[in-house]
Amino acid sequence: MKNTVRILRSEKGWSQAELADLLNVSRQSVNAIETGKYDPSLPLAFAIARLFGRRIEELFDDGTSVAEAAE
Amino acid sequence: MTQQKGFRTANRRYVYAFWPMMAAYIAIIFATSYFIDEDTAPLWLKIAGALVTTAPILGALWAILRRVRETDEYTRLRQLTALAQGGAITAGIAFLVGFLQIFNVIGSVDVFWLGTLFFLAYGLSYCLQHFGKTV
Repeated sequence: MKNTVRILRSEKGWSQAELADLLNVSRQSVNAIETGKYDPSLPLAFAIARLFGRRIEELFDDGTSVAEAAE
Repeated sequence: MTQQKGFRTANRRYVYAFWPMMAAYIAIIFATSYFIDEDTAPLWLKIAGALVTTAPILGALWAILRRVRETDEYTRLRQLTALAQGGAITAGIAFLVGFLQIFNVIGSVDVFWLGTLFFLAYGLSYCLQHFGKTV
């Protein structure tokens, strides 16, 4: 799943370790999410979205539109 | 029921539990090999020695499982995958060795090495997860 976590983190000037501390996860977790190796659970995705003041769908994109999903 | 405490806390609790267990294991290994003669020691002492030596290993396994419960979701996934793969590899090799023994291809093999094999397979699996997509 594509996401904009790396971009938003860079805008904040945070390192992966700093973001990991804020989310109470490992730096490897942040790296895996940013590189698309790991898709976070809903609670973690919400926590990330809240931290950046965005909605989840602004951060994560599975490449499926709402219309496509409804079909 | 998940008792998540976050990566840092879980890691700290793991380190504080795991390494003392390993230190105790090494100390007990030296003590039992020095004080218990495998030829002349009474049976009860041999059994006690085996139980005391195994205790820190069980403690280390408990520390690993507690860390799995308490750490963050990504680390938990990697740990559980490594534990499953380590267990599968160990079980596979145990069956293979067992059948080779049944068919008289090989002689007896110390069961002790299965535990060592599990930890090796578990560690290797955990390291290899650095490559490739996890979920």
